[in-house]
Amino acid sequence: MSWASFHVVEVMSSPYFHLKTGGYLAAAQSFDENTDVLMLTTNLLKKDMASGSHPEISAALNCLAHILTPELARDLALDIIPMLNHSRPLIRKRAILVLYKMMLFDLDALDRGFNKLREKLEDPDVGVVSAAVNALCELSRREPERCLVLAPYLFNLLTNSSNNWMLIKIVKLFGALTPYEPRLVRKLQPPLTDLISTTPAISLLYECVRTCIIGGMFQGSSGSSLARTCVQKLAAFLGNPDQNLKYIALLALVKIVPSHPHLVAEHQRLVLASVSDNDMSIRMRALDLLSAMVNRQTLQHVVQHLLSHLSPESPSGTNQSAAQALSQAISGVAVSVMPPSLSAPYRLDVARRILDMCSRDHYDNVEDFEWYLSVLVDLSYVARVPIGEEIRDQFLDVVTRVRSVRLFAVRLMAKFLHDGAPDADNEDCVEVYWAAAWTCGEYCSNLLDPLETASKLLGEESTRLPPTILAIYMSSAMKIIGHWASNLTVEWDEIQLVDTQQNVNRAILQVSGFADSPHLEVQERAAAFGQLLQFMKADLAAYGQGRASTASSEGPNFPKSLQLIHPLSSTFELNVVAPEAQDKVRFPEGLDLDTDIVPVAVRAPPELTGNAPTKVKRRKKKDPMTHLVGPFFWSGSLW
Amino acid sequence: MIHAVMIFNTAGAVRLTKFYTPIPHSLRTSLPKLIFKLVSTRASGLCNFLDAPELQLNWAKNGVEGDETRVVYRCYATLYFVFVVSSEESELGILDLVQVFVESLDRAFENVCELDLVFHFDEVHYILSEVIQGGLVLETNVEEIAVAAKEASKARKTSYASAHPLSLGSVGGVGKNVESLAKNMNLSWFTSGLRR
Repeated sequence: MSWASFHVVEVMSSPYFHLKTGGYLAAAQSFDENTDVLMLTTNLLKKDMASGSHPEISAALNCLAHILTPELARDLALDIIPMLNHSRPLIRKRAILVLYKMMLFDLDALDRGFNKLREKLEDPDVGVVSAAVNALCELSRREPERCLVLAPYLFNLLTNSSNNWMLIKIVKLFGALTPYEPRLVRKLQPPLTDLISTTPAISLLYECVRTCIIGGMFQGSSGSSLARTCVQKLAAFLGNPDQNLKYIALLALVKIVPSHPHLVAEHQRLVLASVSDNDMSIRMRALDLLSAMVNRQTLQHVVQHLLSHLSPESPSGTNQSAAQALSQAISGVAVSVMPPSLSAPYRLDVARRILDMCSRDHYDNVEDFEWYLSVLVDLSYVARVPIGEEIRDQFLDVVTRVRSVRLFAVRLMAKFLHDGAPDADNEDCVEVYWAAAWTCGEYCSNLLDPLETASKLLGEESTRLPPTILAIYMSSAMKIIGHWASNLTVEWDEIQLVDTQQNVNRAILQVSGFADSPHLEVQERAAAFGQLLQFMKADLAAYGQGRASTASSEGPNFPKSLQLIHPLSSTFELNVVAPEAQDKVRFPEGLDLDTDIVPVAVRAPPELTGNAPTKVKRRKKKDPMTHLVGPFFWSGSLW
Repeated sequence: MIHAVMIFNTAGAVRLTKFYTPIPHSLRTSLPKLIFKLVSTRASGLCNFLDAPELQLNWAKNGVEGDETRVVYRCYATLYFVFVVSSEESELGILDLVQVFVESLDRAFENVCELDLVFHFDEVHYILSEVIQGGLVLETNVEEIAVAAKEASKARKTSYASAHPLSLGSVGGVGKNVESLAKNMNLSWFTSGLRR
């Protein structure tokens, strides 16, 4: 609506109140910090704030709160101060709230305004005090040290006031201040304990409990009993049928888990039940809490529970029972309520949480890596969300860093490959096949039946996979066959020649299917592999003939080409390197990394010939229109 | 502070939006739609807080650390009242505030219904401005709000009357209908003889 901003200002400056408020409303809804005409409103607002009519002042302050910018704050800061002492409480309240907003924009206003806020804490009207407390509560998030000065006044209000809303704000304020002033903790423990045990208002009770948790008030002897009381109250909320109470209890329990996990662990059953709640919000929070609560002993149980969560339930509404359909028809509700566990973002979230819980702190919680790898494979079957990449990364991370699990991993992945390529509805986790192929290729010495695995990799079903995965299939198949071939040489027997030739021929046939693939990477690898196999085939044939003709005892007594492929991938084992390892390498003597190899002066200077146009620095001219328009509006009235 | 107030009906038509924190223009229409989509699938017994993985509330962060934004909603008949608040507001307190706002609307409009929000949206805005100013709660007492709203409404009516001496009704007549006005107005200028 920027085309109308000028007209909005015109209407705002109308002498008639009903038009003026319409203009203010339009301004509040449509102006933002880039609106050009804001500077025209300064004088207008000044005039309205100085007018005698209370509704006008009210409306002006309200509009100012919406359209405030740093320039407006600077210009109008001085005019707000007298408003704080206005006779009507409503105007004082509005002025306080506007002043708070100004304090955010302008540092001068911050200093001056702060003293005024302190005075307003002792205003005779309760509403004004409440507004001042509200402003201070917001301010304490940004400038907590400054607000510490007011702690005595606030403490006074805390112990004497009975206005629930204000008490909530004061309690929240103290929650923000206690990290900066530990002595406050001791002073606050008695009144807060008192409030927790006596207040009938649940909102206030909750805020007190939350402040105790966030403000770190569980120190000292009374602290631990206070912690226990708080957790008990929260657990009572969690068991309450009211869903709102469950939700806020979960919110608060998450905060207390880092410091008092044993207290929360007592209620683990309740938390697990909340994860299966019908309500998506409660589930999300329960998941949060669960992933914070998990430790070595509970990890397996929790992950199993979450996996069973993800396993497919009835996928469509058509499976709902006749009774359900009838009741829906009767109540006339046409809402198609999808069971929360089926929404894709939720499943993605759960899957990510499982991965996060296990991999946190360098897999601190995982005791049995074999179990974890099987969880990863299960997750790739069950998740049905695009989380394949993350599963793959986790898998590779574990396999490369944990030597002892490699045997299990390779067997597991071989089985995974044998179970078949992905079908049409489970294409979300194809990247796991990448991990499977790479693991089998890299640690192929652990394979039970290398030929079987290799032919699976090169088989017909693989053609449906994406090219990046096919490429790794090629190289893994090569490594496996190389390994198989070089194993044959350990106990070479003449009888094996025919079988070997057959296997090599079969491999050549399979690979040639990929050699004309439209994907370049696959094509290249398949072609290279195919050629190596051809070489082997030729050598085996020559060996067969050579054996028949000569009976030389020189050289090895097996076809040399069997050793051809294996060294390509197995000469060095690459170890995992820590990130700090480079720093530990000692600096060789006499090595200087800081001087330039080519001295700077010798390099060609940048272009500065006479022909190249040079840029002239142009100062931005001020818009001449403002000079013309200014005097018109400075008087504050139009036409 | 309160970041936004939205009212929409059970079919998804937006009746009122008020943003107290600057929001990118692209989100101004898409956010109510998204919230409606998430809220309309929730059954009535569930909690009043909307928390779903699809909800992205980054525009409201304002650079303050640890600020979690909450979406609090309440359903009244055919209307959803949605408040998007920051973590400085008490969740249960905001639920009370929604109730206070609805009661104030009820007092001002005399048995408020959705049509009142449609045809007198400016009045709704003025009443909201008595409850919340610039994202901060101004008043929580229904009586006080009603008094302040009535005063402002009266000022508007007198201003309209002074600008339009021949008018039949007041601007945005709150809750009154034309028949009762017709009974009250003075037609002597008409009946005392027409002048050319």
